[in-house]
Amino acid sequence: MKTKVSHILLFVLPALIFYTLFVVYPIGYSFNLSFFSWAGVGEKTFVGFENFKNILFGNFSEEFFNALWHSIYFFIMNSIFELGLAFFIAVALTSKIWGRRFFQTVVYLPNVISMVLVGFIWSMLLNPQWGLINSFLELIGLGNLAQPWLGQKETALTTVVMVNIWRNIGFYILVFMAAILNIPKDLFDAAYIDGAKNRKIITRIIFPLTVPTMQTLAILIFIWSFNIFDVVYALTGVQAGPFRSTDVLGTVFYRTAFGGLGSSRQDYGLGAAIVVIIFILVIPLSMVYANVLDKRSRGL
Amino acid sequence: MLRLNKTAKVTLFIVLIVYFFVVATPFGVLFLNSFKSMREIYLKPFAITESFSLDNYKQAWEKAQLGSAYMNSLIVSITSIGGVLLFSSMLAFMISRYRFKFRRFIYVYIITGLALPARLAVIPIYVTLNQLNLIDTRIGLIMVYIATGTAFATFIIKGFMDSIPIEIEESARMDGATPWIIYWKIALPLTKPALVVVGLVNFVNVWNDFFFPLIILSSRSKETVPLAISVFFGEFSNQWHLIAAALSMSIIPIMLIFFLFSKNFISGITQGAIK
Repeated sequence: MKTKVSHILLFVLPALIFYTLFVVYPIGYSFNLSFFSWAGVGEKTFVGFENFKNILFGNFSEEFFNALWHSIYFFIMNSIFELGLAFFIAVALTSKIWGRRFFQTVVYLPNVISMVLVGFIWSMLLNPQWGLINSFLELIGLGNLAQPWLGQKETALTTVVMVNIWRNIGFYILVFMAAILNIPKDLFDAAYIDGAKNRKIITRIIFPLTVPTMQTLAILIFIWSFNIFDVVYALTGVQAGPFRSTDVLGTVFYRTAFGGLGSSRQDYGLGAAIVVIIFILVIPLSMVYANVLDKRSRGL
Repeated sequence: MLRLNKTAKVTLFIVLIVYFFVVATPFGVLFLNSFKSMREIYLKPFAITESFSLDNYKQAWEKAQLGSAYMNSLIVSITSIGGVLLFSSMLAFMISRYRFKFRRFIYVYIITGLALPARLAVIPIYVTLNQLNLIDTRIGLIMVYIATGTAFATFIIKGFMDSIPIEIEESARMDGATPWIIYWKIALPLTKPALVVVGLVNFVNVWNDFFFPLIILSSRSKETVPLAISVFFGEFSNQWHLIAAALSMSIIPIMLIFFLFSKNFISGITQGAIK
């Protein structure tokens, strides 16, 4: 249908203005800010590429790359579990099995709880003296494995990663289930008539036909890996202890921009520069993702 | 869909039962602890409390100021969802039903936001809100949520509208109805299932969000639930019996909503990622 321009504007502008003002413009303005030094009040000082130099090569680089590797570690572990493990659970949940609907609900439950609250719940379970995890290990005779999971450098990051996966994996399972249920039933029937074993059906039918889903999810996992903040905040605090062993880009950014005890220095410009580096890694993929969805919705 | 023999069925069933315990035990332990005294938590981590009372809950409710936190969370969630649903459905309606310049451009521009890490751009958001005098206000928070909810809402609602036949609307237009009448009287009622899904997904996102309240709000009287809990956690970091009670109270409402609407949730979640 067609209509007057004034009508179009009436319908389009409200959403467009909000979205532009609080999503798009802040991203653009972050790029601008990254060339300044600014404490938030008073005059901004133009410093050119100084912030980036400082982050990539200067005295801030150690902190930055430490956190960057941790974010990448998040991405790798999330990919393995949230794609690998989730795939197999989804295969199980889409086969004819007793209690399917119930398990489907259970699987998604942690996802509706606020990440920061999930972190607090787990900090209780991981308490070195009386937490569930260590008590359980003692109960089954593995007491020598009990340890301060979040209190030592060697285990802290992986523990945080696991809590994150515990909460998020349900989303990936559900998406895989939807993809598997979308596969035409005839394919399965034909394969069974030809005498195919289940393992073959998984490797030759289910897996190849869920690869596009996996690709989309991998993009999302990548983007979201750089967005991580709440779980670290709740489990090991803004300082991402012990000794920054759980620091991720989200927490570095938070300390730089909004302070918190012991931050090396508080500066909006420096914080914006960190964000710009993340954006450069992530925005191209966001665009790829939008295009994929747009094409799919037009049936291409 | 796999066909399984008996052994496979039983094995998978056991695996899923284990999975169930991995999910349920943390919540179970949390509820158990919420009724215990500190001493019982330390000494008998798996036992049920000896003297059942709601005292922990009363204390935690007052100390964490959960009453006002619930109120704030409700105000912020409901208002921002109303805004998202109204503005996004208007936009989705225009894009789905009318042909005009820049139509596709606007659509792709909006849905790029589906996967943008928008909250990283929080410094400019903070600066903008500051200029508008909206720092430490619920309105400021609501505006940010309307903006960050737009992409997902527009995507789902537009997709749903595309699948509704346009004939009724066309004949209404022949009879001289304005776009607003067509939208409000015909398109919107037909889109209800999508609105429910978007509303629920958004409600959970907003209700659970911790980052934006942490940055934007500073007075205790305006805290939303996750922020109130985190402040409480910091102040009473060793009072685990109170923390357990506060955490229980903060997750029970959202769990109830989830169990009531789990079907809508699941369809919303899967549609958002993969069409």
